Amino acid sequence: MADILAQIGVAWLDPSLLLLTALGTAAGVYIGAIPGLSVTMAVSILISFTFTWRAEEALALIAGIYMGGVYGGARSAILLNIPGGPAAVATALDGYPLAQRGEAGAAIGLATVMSVIGGFAGILVLALAAPWVSEVALRFQPRDYLLISILGILLVASLSGPSLAKGVFAGALGLIVGTVGLDPLTAQERFTFGVVDLWAGISPIAVMIGVFGIAEALVQLHHLDTQPIRQKLERILPSWRLVRRHLPLSLQSAGIGVGVGALPGTGGDIASLFAYDHAKRVTRNPSRPFGQGAYEGLVAPETANNAAVGGAFIPMLTLGIPGDAVTAVIIGALFIQGLNPGPMLMVENAHVFWFVVGSLLLANCCVLLFGLTGVRVFTWLVRCPRSVLIPLILLLSVVGAYAIGNALTDVYWALAFGLLGYFMKMYRYPVAPIILGVILAPLMDQNWRRAIISVRDDVPRLLADLVSTPISFTLTAAIVLVLAAKLPWHRRRHHQ
Amino acid sequence: MRLVHCAAALAVLAAAPAAADYPTRALQGVIMWGAGGATDTVSRAIQPHAEAALGRDIVMTNRSGGTGAIATRYVQAQRADGYTLLFGAENPQLHKVLGLADIDYDDFYPVNILARGVAIVVTTADAPWQSFGELVAEAQADPGAIRMGATGPGGLPHVVGSMLASGVEFPVTAVPYDGEGPALTAMLGGAVDFMPVGLSAAAEHIRAGRVRPLAVVDTAEVDLLPGVPPITAEFPVFEDYLPWGPFYGVFVRRDTPEAITATLVEAFHGAASVAEFEELMEARGNVMMNLTGDEADAFLDRWRSVTSWIMYDAGAAQVSPDSVGIARP
Repeated sequence: MADILAQIGVAWLDPSLLLLTALGTAAGVYIGAIPGLSVTMAVSILISFTFTWRAEEALALIAGIYMGGVYGGARSAILLNIPGGPAAVATALDGYPLAQRGEAGAAIGLATVMSVIGGFAGILVLALAAPWVSEVALRFQPRDYLLISILGILLVASLSGPSLAKGVFAGALGLIVGTVGLDPLTAQERFTFGVVDLWAGISPIAVMIGVFGIAEALVQLHHLDTQPIRQKLERILPSWRLVRRHLPLSLQSAGIGVGVGALPGTGGDIASLFAYDHAKRVTRNPSRPFGQGAYEGLVAPETANNAAVGGAFIPMLTLGIPGDAVTAVIIGALFIQGLNPGPMLMVENAHVFWFVVGSLLLANCCVLLFGLTGVRVFTWLVRCPRSVLIPLILLLSVVGAYAIGNALTDVYWALAFGLLGYFMKMYRYPVAPIILGVILAPLMDQNWRRAIISVRDDVPRLLADLVSTPISFTLTAAIVLVLAAKLPWHRRRHHQ
Repeated sequence: MRLVHCAAALAVLAAAPAAADYPTRALQGVIMWGAGGATDTVSRAIQPHAEAALGRDIVMTNRSGGTGAIATRYVQAQRADGYTLLFGAENPQLHKVLGLADIDYDDFYPVNILARGVAIVVTTADAPWQSFGELVAEAQADPGAIRMGATGPGGLPHVVGSMLASGVEFPVTAVPYDGEGPALTAMLGGAVDFMPVGLSAAAEHIRAGRVRPLAVVDTAEVDLLPGVPPITAEFPVFEDYLPWGPFYGVFVRRDTPEAITATLVEAFHGAASVAEFEELMEARGNVMMNLTGDEADAFLDRWRSVTSWIMYDAGAAQVSPDSVGIARP
């Protein structure tokens, strides 16, 4: 035990490691806040110049960037309605309306505290239950991923706003956009019309920058002369009462985050959308209606996406299987450092595991520190006149889109989806379901095919399998319950 | 008009030193398989040494899918300026006969064939089969019931499966995944029953006792897996095809200027000679090659010819190698 504590403490006690983690977190917050600059990218670049460092130094810096980056996505989502990454899409839904009410400071404060709570929850599960969680995560079959994606599609209902039909339209559009490109299993061209630039598909991030960032800038043009909203900045740190009130929801969301994050096929983006949906289901009296600045709609996704960080490390550290794109890159780093990431890491190099736990803890504390300071600088963004703000958003969007893969194609996509998003917003179509569709399309497509190939095209057997294991059964039951809750008779009974 | 001339002149001036000073900015490395697989680990292991030699960063991205066709086509669509490197495995050499793409390594300049891997057949530790023969027997008894982890057409499992199928009945269901890493994960979770895989991707899982190696796809045992029989012991049909194995290399477009390829060849040859890299390769069960230039081209040609005809003769390839200019070995 003392041994473990000593290994956890390494990152805290060594001044250079402490500094590196703090630096990483600070950098992460800014990288995460700019759409297009992703944590994955930052970490890959880092690895190339940290290979001469000690493994601890590299890991400390990466832990900081990862934690800070996932949190940073909320900043731009709240202030500009441009999520810094797909994991912050749900944050924008209620975070931006809060900023429009002049509560940007409070929203950032609450998002910070909740991110930190989520982060701690994720690390706690990592530290105490990693081997068990990874065994369960490993048990997920292709059909289970298919069920998760179906459950995900049902989130359209939550993301739709007043008109379900418009939400379904947006979600379906997203699904189609997500199937463009070479078929990942057979390399057949789909919806590419022979255009080479379409082979790799349409980046979900380019779509996100378009329908959120550029579309938002275009919509703002209508209100060019409106005075910027006066932001209340006296109080950034949320009151203990507010935090306590949302703690149960926050912990449930953290659970969703860790679980979805630990699955090798899903990450924080899907986790935060599930958590948002969960919040809508369980909150009887939200502080305001969802979509208009409900604190609950901010708390759930922000807790979930930071909890997913700890979750993603679970299969990586116990089995050498990446939980998401970032941990995949870290596996490469460990390999180059000669640490043999794999199931033997926990046995032969347990100190690496505890060191990661320690530096994640430290990074999480840094998130709290950097999250609650410097808010004033950020909120300057929403207070500056629109004639300055709109070009700034457009510039940021174009740079962000280009940064995805150093390709102009993504910029064109962002612009095209920006135009589409503008008209969708004008006609009151929700845009978040598009992102949902784009993210879920490959998950659904590939796992449906794997599931049906595995049972040799035997549909009855596949259906029987859907209730044959605890995991499949739970997921199937969840889908049935979600659908049943929408049936007219069920709703009538509840509203009486 | 004069303005246009000036601009053109400026562009030429700007471009000319670009080739001489290459590289002036970070390079992009495109890995054709997903993170955690054999190609990924080899590529990321050579990356820091190549960066040190080039004095520039190489920003690595995984573009998996279509057994490498997505990455291959992507790099082919970029400029031939040496700033986009393809970190690839053997797969594109089969794309023509499988009808996946009309480009293969003929369209790329082999900067370095870094290493070759050893293929093995693995199953889970709790599987009932103690030898590959037992597994094949059960597959024959209940055709299609056993699920093989696959990586798509032209992937290692597909080729090894085809070699076997050329001699014996081998009715298994291939379930395709994004790469060796995800397929191995699926096998650990019981979603597939067995898979042919590169030793490097499975080594740590074998060491941990989670994965049982059934056979080495070679004519003799390998040092890293004492006691695991060569596949020829049970299936002599493989003798015609072996030695055969996956390989990993770095490529740029064939029409890249010679000054640039020379810089790259030197950098990667040096990087692959670093003791640290060689040790890493050995520890992962790979065999160092470090081939460049004509030697590398000859190797690529021979590999393509041998494997294309195996696949065609086994009925796994629809396009005749003859029709796409691949001669019988």
